[in-house]
Amino acid sequence: MSDTVRSLAGQEEARYRALQAVDPRAPGALETFTTGLHDESWRVRHAAAEGLRRVPDAKGVTARLISVLGERGETGARNAAAEALAGMGPVAMPPLVHLLEHEDPDQRKLAADILGALGHPEVEDALLRALSDDDLNVRVAAAEALGRMGGDAAARALEGLLDTPTPLLRLAALEGLASLKRAPPLERVMALVEDPGLQRSALRLLGLYSPGVATERICRALASPVRSVREAALVALGTQARGLGPYERGELDAVARSVLGGIPGVTERVAQALDGEDVQVRAGALVAAGALGEASLAVPVAEVAREDRLLREVLFTLGQLGADGRRLLLGSMGMLSLPARTVAAEALVLLVDATSVPELCALLEWAEDDLRAVVVRALGRTRSPAAVAPLVELLADPSLSGIAARALEQLTVTHPLEALTALEVAVEQRSTPAAVAVLGRLGGARVLPVLRRMARDEEASWRAAAVEAAGHADGEAGLELARGALADESPRVRIAAVRSLGQQGGKEAATFLGLALKDEDRGVRVAAVEAVGAAGAKERSPDLESLVRHGDGALAMLAVRALTKLGTVGAGVLWDALSHPDAEVVKAALAALASAEASADGAALAVSLLGHPRWDVRVAAARVLGGLGRPECLLALEQALSVERDGLARVALADAVARLSGR
Amino acid sequence: MPRFDEGRPEMTLEEFRLLRDHVYAHCGILIHENMKFVMERRLWPRLEALGIQDFGSYHRYLRYDALRNAELEAAVESLTTHETYFFREPAQLKAFCEELLPILEKRNAHTRRLRLWSAGCSSGEEAYTLAMLLKDSGRFNDWDVEVIGTDLSRRVLAVARRAEYGPSALRATPPDLLERYFIPVGVNRVRVRDDVKAWVSFGHHNLADVAGSQLVPRTDVVFCRNVMIYFDLAARRRVLGVIRDRLCPGGYLLLGHAENLLSLGADFELVHLKGDLVYRRPELPGGEGR
Repeated sequence: MSDTVRSLAGQEEARYRALQAVDPRAPGALETFTTGLHDESWRVRHAAAEGLRRVPDAKGVTARLISVLGERGETGARNAAAEALAGMGPVAMPPLVHLLEHEDPDQRKLAADILGALGHPEVEDALLRALSDDDLNVRVAAAEALGRMGGDAAARALEGLLDTPTPLLRLAALEGLASLKRAPPLERVMALVEDPGLQRSALRLLGLYSPGVATERICRALASPVRSVREAALVALGTQARGLGPYERGELDAVARSVLGGIPGVTERVAQALDGEDVQVRAGALVAAGALGEASLAVPVAEVAREDRLLREVLFTLGQLGADGRRLLLGSMGMLSLPARTVAAEALVLLVDATSVPELCALLEWAEDDLRAVVVRALGRTRSPAAVAPLVELLADPSLSGIAARALEQLTVTHPLEALTALEVAVEQRSTPAAVAVLGRLGGARVLPVLRRMARDEEASWRAAAVEAAGHADGEAGLELARGALADESPRVRIAAVRSLGQQGGKEAATFLGLALKDEDRGVRVAAVEAVGAAGAKERSPDLESLVRHGDGALAMLAVRALTKLGTVGAGVLWDALSHPDAEVVKAALAALASAEASADGAALAVSLLGHPRWDVRVAAARVLGGLGRPECLLALEQALSVERDGLARVALADAVARLSGR
Repeated sequence: MPRFDEGRPEMTLEEFRLLRDHVYAHCGILIHENMKFVMERRLWPRLEALGIQDFGSYHRYLRYDALRNAELEAAVESLTTHETYFFREPAQLKAFCEELLPILEKRNAHTRRLRLWSAGCSSGEEAYTLAMLLKDSGRFNDWDVEVIGTDLSRRVLAVARRAEYGPSALRATPPDLLERYFIPVGVNRVRVRDDVKAWVSFGHHNLADVAGSQLVPRTDVVFCRNVMIYFDLAARRRVLGVIRDRLCPGGYLLLGHAENLLSLGADFELVHLKGDLVYRRPELPGGEGR
């Protein structure tokens, strides 16, 4: 094989393909891949490194790779071997630790580098010893490696290096501590921050301290003429602000404001940083912009929303820029990027008043759907009668009708007459069935004649809207229309009738829902199951119980939820539901267990689910057991916790154990 | 702290994972753990539109409702940013025009046929931009040219076909090109000229769908900019496999300026242009396959 690969000299693609075709389990694969590590092409070397990781004899591969590390003058092969070793996992650790003792300092350095890349804390002691190596490069590599995965001992050692006379080691120690998020005593870092060679790393480390003196020093660095120093300061400011509560954040903002306010040209510098590439620098620039409260920064702040990870900070910062900033955004809407426009619009929602309607309507002319949704919400907050007509019109837009309906409801509080009149006109003009639904909710008995007429409309969508709306408008009329609508030929109308019956409740509704549960259409049956729960129709419980074993997970899950609502979940039903193949049914049953007077049998059922293959079921089971408070389940929970690998399930199990053991 | 999200339910970690896994299973798009807030914020309008009160109920809707497929598409669309505009990343487009187009003109001279693919084209700005650049180069006027735009979202494809745009989409368009390739259609709105539209076609395609990719013809250049960011490593590998398969040997792949193929294997060669770094599907040994 090796010969085949070699014979393809000058044909990089062919060598690459040949190497990829090598079976890592075949005899001679190790040799072929090792030869590939020495290829002139990085693509071939990379393919060889990947191939070596798949060879079954991991120990043999590791030994061979380590021997390649010793090949002086073969830089490409050594780097490829280092890359392969970093991907070998724990098997590579003992020989690499051994290599730290090699007489060649280059190999000792490579060993430290690779151990750092492997990132296993078990080698911390070996790397700590390497901090005393005769060779400076080895000591620096060891310090850097410890910064990637060290524990308490590493942090103490790195802290000790802050006093070393060698600047390179001090630098590695600062970077390592920052990476480990271990803050040494503040005064030690404050001393180093004045050293131009260490300033950037020391500034980053200052980000780990609480707001106060450190904030002041970080902000002063924004006066530096050196851009990289300013960026390090901004990274530190962003780190410091992360996760602070409102009080501490206020403290940080106050200190930052007092320092930044005295730096000439700081607004321009912050604007420049907001437009930068580095996400951490931009995070810090947002903090600085918010502290400054400078309205002119509103547009660059909003544009940071293009970075999803900073969205929360952008929203917070826009709030700090006040009404002037938000007005500036409104004027610039057309030129903002989509994410910036979306956050700007959200900020706008807070600003609107009765005078904003024309501007909001202008936005509706050209805005994308998600922005239009925010504008619709804003229209509802204007408290202006002028917003009624555009909102009624928007009811016809399927993606916005729900939001427009809620916005109209808000407006009805202050302008009921205008809203009802506009809705009645819209219904008369047959603009959209959604107007009927809102009319029924807002108009009460007054609009019943219109609803009765619409319930006989030739189009199913209008009949459905009228039947459901009647349920909101008047109980008795709603029941009457719903009964008739259950015989409608359109499933859509029958679903509307079922929902209306669910709202009404009572004996008659329960009888009709019994019929709907046997409807030929699945959608009607699904709606009926939900409606039985909503109506409190206990007499329908046997119908629901028969659905719990249904192969359709939706029907089974909804039946369990409805039975839970009715308070009629029996043990047999629980058994059926907990063994259902659909996890959502099982979770619904667990929720039922939690809400019922659970017996020892119920707890045993939940315990049996701690080993369920799905993490969400195990989480639900642990929560239920924590809530049931039965001490006999503690052992099972502890055992489950000891083998659980899923993070969320572990948290749920640990909570349950704590509750049951009283810890 | 000011609140911009009155009444918005908070998404629990559990709901986040269930929704994230559901989306991932559908299209390979991975939402990272630290994006819970973003997911919550982007999906909330969907809950609002459907009148659903919490994210757990929304997950059940996505699993069971008769309209779940359409809603899943709407959810994915909400989760993926459609931030795009004409003549985005001008340095890369300059390198494409000045360095790649002459190569393609020479290489395809015998077929006089050129195919470009805008993979993840969103509302069409990139696909139309490429057609405009091809026209502006004057090299392919009587050639068989097609720019194919594909996207996962049917809604953005409808916008792309309409080809009408507002000021934000045009914010980086040079005035002379605006004059040449667009016609005004109302206040602050323009439409792409018909002769440009004639070179562009659109289609629905999930980049992670290996079988479905056969519907995309073999292309000379793929623009897949700011799309890979949505995928995890495994899905990226799958997508790259699809792109490689749809590229002619020697064809080029252009990624967004913040993207690269590091740690994704080396099925593409890195090509150092004067103005950009691009990737190329290696020629077959002996120059076969063209």
